[in-house]
Amino acid sequence: MRFGPPYGRVKVPLWAFLLMAVAALSGCGSGSGTAVDALVLEAVEDPSGTLRPEQVHLKQGGVERLEGARPNLGSTDAAYWVRVSGWQGAPRNARVVLDNPTLDSIDVFTLNGARVLGSVRSGAAYGNPEDLIPSFALPLNEAHELWFRVRSTKPLLLPFSLTQVDRVEATRRRRDLAVALYTGMVLAILIYNTFLAFTTGQRAYFSYLFVVLTVGLVQWCFNGYDRLIWGDFSWMAVNGLAVMGALSGLAALVFARHFLEVRRYTPRWNLMITLLLWVYAAALISAFLGMPSVAYNLVNLGALSAPAMLILSIVSWRKGNPSAPWYFVAWSIFLVAVTMQALRDFGVMSSTPMAAALLPIGTVLEMLLLSFALGNRINVLKRSSDEANAKALAASLENERIVKEQNAELEARVRERTEDLAKANSGLSNALHDLQGAQDQLIQTEKLASLGQMTAGIAHELNNPINYVQSNATSLRRDLEELIQVIEAHVAALSGLASDAPDGMELLAKAQDMARTLDLSFLIEESRQLIQGILDGADRTAHIVGGLRVFGRMDGDNLVAASLGELLEASITVLGDRARSKAKLNVDLEEGLPPLWCQSGKLSQVFMNIIVNAVQATESRWQDVEDRKVEVGLIGVKDGAGKLQALKVFIRDNGTGMDEVTRQRIFDPFYTTKDVGKGTGLGLSIVKGILDDHGAEVRVESAVGEGTEFQLLFAIDAMKGGGTQDRNEAA
Amino acid sequence: MRDNMADEIIRVLYLDDEEANLFSFKAAFRREFEVHTCIEPHQAVRLMDEHEFHVVLSDQRMPRISGVEFFELVMPDHPDVSRVLVTGYADTDAVVDAINKGQVYRFVSKPWNEEELRTVIRSGYYLNRSRVQNAEQGAEVLAMLEKLAGQVEALDGQLAAGTPEAISRVQQELRNLREGVLQERERYAQWMDRLGK
Repeated sequence: MRFGPPYGRVKVPLWAFLLMAVAALSGCGSGSGTAVDALVLEAVEDPSGTLRPEQVHLKQGGVERLEGARPNLGSTDAAYWVRVSGWQGAPRNARVVLDNPTLDSIDVFTLNGARVLGSVRSGAAYGNPEDLIPSFALPLNEAHELWFRVRSTKPLLLPFSLTQVDRVEATRRRRDLAVALYTGMVLAILIYNTFLAFTTGQRAYFSYLFVVLTVGLVQWCFNGYDRLIWGDFSWMAVNGLAVMGALSGLAALVFARHFLEVRRYTPRWNLMITLLLWVYAAALISAFLGMPSVAYNLVNLGALSAPAMLILSIVSWRKGNPSAPWYFVAWSIFLVAVTMQALRDFGVMSSTPMAAALLPIGTVLEMLLLSFALGNRINVLKRSSDEANAKALAASLENERIVKEQNAELEARVRERTEDLAKANSGLSNALHDLQGAQDQLIQTEKLASLGQMTAGIAHELNNPINYVQSNATSLRRDLEELIQVIEAHVAALSGLASDAPDGMELLAKAQDMARTLDLSFLIEESRQLIQGILDGADRTAHIVGGLRVFGRMDGDNLVAASLGELLEASITVLGDRARSKAKLNVDLEEGLPPLWCQSGKLSQVFMNIIVNAVQATESRWQDVEDRKVEVGLIGVKDGAGKLQALKVFIRDNGTGMDEVTRQRIFDPFYTTKDVGKGTGLGLSIVKGILDDHGAEVRVESAVGEGTEFQLLFAIDAMKGGGTQDRNEAA
Repeated sequence: MRDNMADEIIRVLYLDDEEANLFSFKAAFRREFEVHTCIEPHQAVRLMDEHEFHVVLSDQRMPRISGVEFFELVMPDHPDVSRVLVTGYADTDAVVDAINKGQVYRFVSKPWNEEELRTVIRSGYYLNRSRVQNAEQGAEVLAMLEKLAGQVEALDGQLAAGTPEAISRVQQELRNLREGVLQERERYAQWMDRLGK
């Protein structure tokens, strides 16, 4: 919502209009009072209001002379009788005017002595619109007395004057015009601000409208024009001013509360405003309860709120309320106008037409100023709202900028971290790849190492028999040649002897000599032994090769039905002197056990590995071969019913043994107790992998200084189905 | 100085944990060499103390002690003997150890080639001889130098007398000494020549 500052633009014509209004309103009081001084007023108080006109005539004692143009008897319940004289000699068209429309009742009696010649009734209570300026004809006989009986709940202000009839009418016309002008201005203000009130929806605007309406009505009441509204509804005619005064007071207080934002700037004053509100409320209640003078006095008491609001506006001003100065100025003007009115009423100030116009002009100015203030307030609100909006916008822009910056920063950081992570990830995957490569290599190395060990063992085992077979064959040939020489020598000698050749005996002696030299019996024995050696060697070679056949292919995954006993024997054979010559090997294999579906080459690797470990453990402990004991056994494990359940291989040594920590870690990859470079630490982890593939249960019992026992349990069920067929190599 | 290499019978000791190999070895070389065989290392040590072997052969893989270890064991007492390692299979470690620790002269793999082994034994013998002779030669030269020093000292003592007889005697002695040194030099040169062949 945008509100332009409408007042700035309309200022000049508005002020021009106001000047015109002032000029018009000045006419309110003019017209009366040309011959005021000529009238002599004498008043008689009638406290109970029961005096009859004929009785008043006799009451000469209580008569008091009223001075001044606007005698004021104050607010009282009593009725007053005023004898107006001094009109004698006035033109016939002159009339006595009592220009106070607020007086409730005016009874005018023409007396001749104690006799009432005639009476006229007027006043607010009778609601005659024609009597807005009560005026009365002069008695025909100048000797007669003219008595006014006035009674009012409002102050008994009695501006008597002697005026010609046409002047009275002129005054009335001017006053009508002024009131119309005033009413027009009030209406204009009212309509315009109604529009603004509904446009802005500000609470202060609505209370302001209420203020304008009531203040306007109060002005009507002052001038008696209210009877145009309520006609002959006398209660309202009597109480109108009090009610309107109370209402305008309420309105002013409520407006002040809203406009000055009392709760915000001056919360302590709120209580006072509430109290004053109750005063006005009490005035209203009094009016309704039929106590019009109480009501009027309460309204007058409530008038304390006028200076109170002025002080409040100053306090609020000091507290930084930007609307307060406006209020202060408007209220000051109003207060000045009211004060001057009061001064005029109490006769301190001379009653000029200008003075009479002060109050309505003051109210109009107040209304206008408050309207300006409201507009300004709207502007201020709007400005602060704009500022707030701008601030909020700036803040939100700033926030947005910060958020953007933070986002950018976050993004950058996220990107950075992501890159770092990606780097770390790729580094890790490289490391993993390397590790896997290393592991593969180690496994391969371990395989090659065991293959190398096997090859060395087999080579050694085979080369020995081959050596003596070959060597024996060579030696045997030489022996045979010598034997043949001896035989040939003997054959020659024998044939010479048979043919009785002369050198027969000589040849024989020579042959015998040869046999002796060559040590024939030794040759024969040696030949026999050489042949035996050749046969033994051939046998042993065949045995080793036969043992090798059991292994199948070293790397083969094929499942074959193999006898564990044979596998163990073959393993020991292939290990050769790496096992047998280094420790006392006690092999006890149960006969007649069923074959096991297994990867024979791999199981042999397992057996060899464990046996070599056992032998090495004994080597570490014992100096003498005789003390190193390794037992290799195979037994069938039966259940209660005698049914074969499993095959148990045990390899037991009396070596160094292991502590618990080592025992638990022996199957861990890369764990080794051997010196650096002596073992990869993979041997037993590969063994475990192979045994797991075979579904074998492994038990290891060990004690330091006593030895170690490996128990491998192969369940019978597991062998039948070839359950390991699809499994990949673990190592 | 002896020069009897050709005439001497070569004494050989063969250590192996397998009887069959020992028998084969003896059968193969008994005609040329004085062959001693032994199945136990401690026996072999005793035999070496009893006989002066020119060449000792040992199997590498044996139950209680490896061939290299055996050589290491006997080397301090018999530094000059030629050591030959015989093995069915040797990995690199064994070869390295054989050279560094056992100071093995030759390395022969089973099955052996008889001719090759024969040559190895013979050359081993010559190596042994030259080592022994070197030592003997050194001792001889040392002894001679000491003798010479003694003689020179004696002559010096004679010169102290200062008589013309003494001087002429010393001169005669010096001439003899020179003759002797020249002879020794000649002999040494011949030995050196032979060594260089």
